[in-house]
Amino acid sequence: MTAMTETAAKPGRSPRGSKTPRGNSGATDGPALRPRAGWRVKQDLKGASLSLPFLIGFGVFTLVPIAMALKESVFATKTSGLGFGKATSTFVGFENFAEALADTSFWAGMLRVFIYAIVVVPLGQLLSLAMALVLDGVRRRVAARFRIVLLLPYMVPGLVATMIWIYLYSPVVGPLGDFFQLFGLDVNFFSGNTVWSSIGNLAIWGGIGFNMLIMYGSLQSIPHEIFEAARIDGASELRIALDIKVPFLRGSLVLTSLLAIIGTLQIFSEPLLFRAVTPETITKDFTPAMMIFNQAFQVGNVNYATALSIVLGVVVGIVSAIIYRFTNRIES
Amino acid sequence: MKFTNRRRLTLSAAVLASAAMLSACAGGGSVAPAAQETKSGPVTIDVWGWNAETGKQIVDAFNAAQSDVKVNYVLQASNTATQTNFRNAMEAKSDVPCLVQGFAPLTTMVVNGWAQDITDAVKPTEDTYNDGAKAAAKVNDRYYGLPSGADGQFMIINKDTYDKFGVKVPTTWQEFVEAGKTFKAHGVDVTNLAGEDPSTLMNLAQQGGAEWFAIDGDKWKVNFTDKATLAAADIIQQLIDNDLVSNQTYKDRPALYAYFDSGKMASTTTQWWSLTGYKTNFPATSGHWEAVEIPQFSADKKATPGRSTPSFVPVGCENPEAVVKYADWLATPEGIQAGKNPKTGSVGLPSSLKDPSPYVKDIVPKGFFVDDTKAAEVMVEAQTATVGKFELGPNYDAWFPELQDQWGKAVAGQIKLSEALKNVQKFVASDLEKKGISFTAAS
Repeated sequence: MTAMTETAAKPGRSPRGSKTPRGNSGATDGPALRPRAGWRVKQDLKGASLSLPFLIGFGVFTLVPIAMALKESVFATKTSGLGFGKATSTFVGFENFAEALADTSFWAGMLRVFIYAIVVVPLGQLLSLAMALVLDGVRRRVAARFRIVLLLPYMVPGLVATMIWIYLYSPVVGPLGDFFQLFGLDVNFFSGNTVWSSIGNLAIWGGIGFNMLIMYGSLQSIPHEIFEAARIDGASELRIALDIKVPFLRGSLVLTSLLAIIGTLQIFSEPLLFRAVTPETITKDFTPAMMIFNQAFQVGNVNYATALSIVLGVVVGIVSAIIYRFTNRIES
Repeated sequence: MKFTNRRRLTLSAAVLASAAMLSACAGGGSVAPAAQETKSGPVTIDVWGWNAETGKQIVDAFNAAQSDVKVNYVLQASNTATQTNFRNAMEAKSDVPCLVQGFAPLTTMVVNGWAQDITDAVKPTEDTYNDGAKAAAKVNDRYYGLPSGADGQFMIINKDTYDKFGVKVPTTWQEFVEAGKTFKAHGVDVTNLAGEDPSTLMNLAQQGGAEWFAIDGDKWKVNFTDKATLAAADIIQQLIDNDLVSNQTYKDRPALYAYFDSGKMASTTTQWWSLTGYKTNFPATSGHWEAVEIPQFSADKKATPGRSTPSFVPVGCENPEAVVKYADWLATPEGIQAGKNPKTGSVGLPSSLKDPSPYVKDIVPKGFFVDDTKAAEVMVEAQTATVGKFELGPNYDAWFPELQDQWGKAVAGQIKLSEALKNVQKFVASDLEKKGISFTAAS
């Protein structure tokens, strides 16, 4: 934008010197603008072409599926008789959406994950922030070692992590039960009352390293002169952390919180595996994503599953937008 | 509408978040028959399965034994991988195999339009197989699958535990409950009912002669609360109400095995293919188990539960006769021997045969039972009395998770099993209604 303003203000000057890109043909200022405009278009196209791979991927793997999803969601598939014949699809308009909006199982699942998110997301953020501040306070070499170790859980695929924790929680072969027994506590991580905590602990364990890394990166970019000035003024390390470092981290906190909320509202693999250990609590439609999976791949109602996906997508979008606006307002 | 930068960003965040959700859930379409290439010379058929140990060697032996049919074994990674790849092949209408190892109940294959009617091909040699195997391969009295033996259930008891507390081996389910009450007084569970696995209920219902689904003309008859099912539910309810069972999950396998091996569980129903795993994982109690016949509902009527998922010939395969030729060869002594496991030197139990007794000794793991000969006899007996057929209807994939939910609540004592069954029936009726399938539901 600055370059464009500059060249527009000085039309006679070529960016590379006194000649226009097509030679010194411009007798007047007016005609000399045209070749420069062409050059700029070329440059713009070149720049834009760098985003082409992303745009193609976004189009093929996101926009096209969304278009297909929208199409699927306004149809219903039915058979007849014994169900052995070929199924037929009929256009039903917004019937699937109306059903989704009135589906108590779906909204009960949504409420469940909301309450879960209200507890787990702030807790995870606080822990990540604390770890990032501690890492920022130690020497770089020490921090580098811990950074990798703390990021390890994030590198473990969600399903594998859940399997690991199921073994750790196991009341028979897991070590955690014995550990709590040392303090006279009989903790059953699989019981219906504790399963949310068990899943939450696993989610925080998995996500904490990633959030911490983003925050740590932001902390590293704060100019150190500010800390020096604060120290000279007699500020303690705690005061520096709370009044200088944390405000600087607001952008990272918003980003990681948004990602955590989006991920939490779509929670799927953890409750799916925990279902086996507390089937009386974790039913097939325990979370919105589990219900969508069940409708699509077990009930076989892709049309309704797609409508539910759209509703969930919209809810996640609205929540993200609200949080984004809210945090921006605080900042301004 | 004027978009500020912030509004654009807000909108983008919302769209991206929504997009991430939606992109995972779109697709669909229907499966149509695919053309099969016809060639001169031996007919070549592709067979899909996940038998990594002996699948290929069996096919090699078959190809060497005759020259009319050439089988190409396509090894799949697992049951789930087979489902995915098969679905893709049917969607793409290309490379559709001629025989697929059953990965779901047969009626599901028919309803999805995947399995073809192979009655004409199977009929000429159907007498090779036992009644249970033949019944399991039929839907609406037509062969849509290959005769497939169900693995008959029997019971294994920890003999030391039974002897220690002087408990007589139960022959009826009511005696089983009574045995449980005696064990309970000593802190021992009579058996384990995993909260996520309603198969005990299905097995007992099948054994008692329940028919959850039946075809009546062009309608399904749905009845999850018939006399036999309620009798099965009553036995299980007594076990739950009197706290006679544990609820160890299959997901935590090491814990489950440790518990089975602890002497705290007196008995469990099982089938032949579980025995090797038990032998390996029961270091403390191996050599102390005894195989006994599964308890019955009444002493004068004997039936063994056991279900199977028959292999099927997909729509689009033009050589069902060649498939049947291969399947029939698998049931010959030569075919059975071809499946000898190179590591263990044993063959699997040919459960589709009328008399599997010549092979049963092979599958009794050494050092697990108190009496190997008796164990072999019990297994043959279980096999000959297998019901085989238990119709699971046109929407099994839909209602089974609901049954799991209801079973989990019942096992945890939150609801009664009879109530759980009513809830499942209600779910089935609602799902069939949505799918446009005709049915009548028992009240």
